[in-house]
Amino acid sequence: MRINAKDFASALLLLALAAIGLWLNTDHTLGSARRMGPGYMPMLTFGLEFFLGLCVLGISMVSGPDPLERWTKIDFVSLFLGIAVTLVAYPLLLSVSPALGNNWYALGIAMIIGLGVMAISPGWRKMALILAGMTVFGVLLDHGGLFLAIAAMVVVSALADPEHRPLGVIGSVVFLIALCWWVFIYELDIRVNIWPTF
Amino acid sequence: MELLLDNLAHGFGVALSLNNLLFALLGAFIGTAIGVLPGIGPVATISLLLPITFGQPATTAIIMLAGIYYGAQYGGSTTAILLNLPGEVSSVVTTLEGYKMARNGRAGAALTIAALGSFFAGSVATILVAASGPLLTEIALSFGPADYFSLMLLGLVISAVLAQGSVVKSVAMVVLGVALGLVGTDVQTGQQRFTFGIPELSDGLNFAAIAMGVFGIGEIILNLERPEVRSVLSSKVGSMFLTKEEWKRATPSVIRGTIIGSALGILPGGGASLASFGSYMMERKMSRGRNEFGNGAIEGVAGPEAANNAAAQTSFIPLLTLGIPSNAVMALMVGALIIQGIQPGPRMVESQPDLFWGLICSMWIGNVMLLVINLPMIGMWVKLLQVPYKYMYPAILTFCAIGVYSINNNVFDVYQTVFFAVLGYAFAKLKMEPAPLLVGFVLGPMMEEHLRRAMLLSRGDPVVFIERPISAVLLIVAALALGLMLLPGLRKKKEAAMAG
Repeated sequence: MRINAKDFASALLLLALAAIGLWLNTDHTLGSARRMGPGYMPMLTFGLEFFLGLCVLGISMVSGPDPLERWTKIDFVSLFLGIAVTLVAYPLLLSVSPALGNNWYALGIAMIIGLGVMAISPGWRKMALILAGMTVFGVLLDHGGLFLAIAAMVVVSALADPEHRPLGVIGSVVFLIALCWWVFIYELDIRVNIWPTF
Repeated sequence: MELLLDNLAHGFGVALSLNNLLFALLGAFIGTAIGVLPGIGPVATISLLLPITFGQPATTAIIMLAGIYYGAQYGGSTTAILLNLPGEVSSVVTTLEGYKMARNGRAGAALTIAALGSFFAGSVATILVAASGPLLTEIALSFGPADYFSLMLLGLVISAVLAQGSVVKSVAMVVLGVALGLVGTDVQTGQQRFTFGIPELSDGLNFAAIAMGVFGIGEIILNLERPEVRSVLSSKVGSMFLTKEEWKRATPSVIRGTIIGSALGILPGGGASLASFGSYMMERKMSRGRNEFGNGAIEGVAGPEAANNAAAQTSFIPLLTLGIPSNAVMALMVGALIIQGIQPGPRMVESQPDLFWGLICSMWIGNVMLLVINLPMIGMWVKLLQVPYKYMYPAILTFCAIGVYSINNNVFDVYQTVFFAVLGYAFAKLKMEPAPLLVGFVLGPMMEEHLRRAMLLSRGDPVVFIERPISAVLLIVAALALGLMLLPGLRKKKEAAMAG
């Protein structure tokens, strides 16, 4: 008998989330059914989620083979390394320079490092580069300004598609900067720096 | 009747203001564009453009977002007929007969009947929304907290039951959505729940970040991993006019499609894709041209296209009258309303007459606009397909990033989006349907509120949910819907239906 790997993994995800939720919920007062405290609804929700996780787990045993995509060794290693590096880098950056706590710089930089590690494996490269592009945007926006942030995001995310050519990327950058200036600055007037400030 | 006419006149007054006309046109235009383009759907687009609408009054914002939804139904049919490429899920069945018609040299006729059928269905649905709105509102006003809780529970159950894939997993996704909705400050005690001491989370997770991460960015990554399918226009469009025989065959199909589409749209959990499929099944069974199905029967285009447009509009009924979103797009509308400071619910028709009647009238106006946007400009829309995806995705990414930042002017929201993109990607890989999650996230906080109130009133006795007749009926329907889907026979039928 082959188990349904997709359902099995879903069940593990659901059970893990429900367990974390129930554990975190021990901080909140439950109250009674009549006067519900802040912990009552989370208890019901995560309890139900746990039960559903068990149901999916049961179903995965009989719902036929549906294998996950094959993960290579490098996929595994880079995923765990990426997560670990992010988790280590965040407090490390904060302890090196508390100023990085402002504006979530430490978080953004830690995420970029972690996503960079994941991009080493071909299996994660597209996802990691797209998300790294977006994170770079977040890190650069405040001091680098909108235009620089857009340019950096487009360049990093363009690396995700090997079909991109330098000229096309430059064209995209120019076009998107012009479009975003028109939509977000000229029409909507959002409050954000346009040019770099140091 | 007279009151209805008065109200409609008021609505047209609102909808015909220059600003609202402009945004209806913009919505219809964007909707058509994303309808034509495969790989970006109305859910992603609406969440993408959500922040842009904040600067506008609520009515204008909803008019534009609604235009995107029903505009996408028009646009989706164009590529389905010409290129055998469904731009949206709701036009999957249109490819079956529509593309065959195009191969037979009748592409023009198929496009015309799709547009005119949609227009007819849209007009009828508009009247239906106008007539049933105040009626349903009156019923809803007699609802107590227990009834509301049961109604929302029904909405959640049906949105899970009708989602693609395994029912149990979809129910789990709804519950996960409710769980995500718990993050933030507890309304009654002010205690912080699941915020990890992060001040940005005390108002809850960012709705736009979830929608954009899961549906917008997650989708980009998946699209990049798939090899791009490039199709070229193989057949000529041909004459846009229908023959007398075609008119005779298509007219009853359009009427049937309108009826079934309107009905399926009102159902919580229903929507455009369910309607177009239902209509296709019906036409194949009972239309005069049923023997020609598979060889380009015009009934197979006329019915489903009318149905999906009718459903796109009637699915606003549960939202506008009860405050219950019936699908992911409507969940986004709730999000847009709440951000604008309007609590969707039965009092909306009375307290926001501009919004309710203005939206209804703008839907009709939008349908006229779509007719003009679509038929004479078919060539331009087909050209749009030649823009390679590698130029589209950086643009989508840019709009997501700036849009989500501009809601609170906080980069934390950008990182939240990244987080939910990873989650959305994982959901897709594990075949977990994300649409019910969004509905759960929107309804969760309201459900908790009503549950607490109901239990306080009943002194902690849960029997109240069965004692009140409205609540009892709603719970029975929810239980039936869930029970039926667990029967193997029906489940197979649903799977066949969803596979198109």
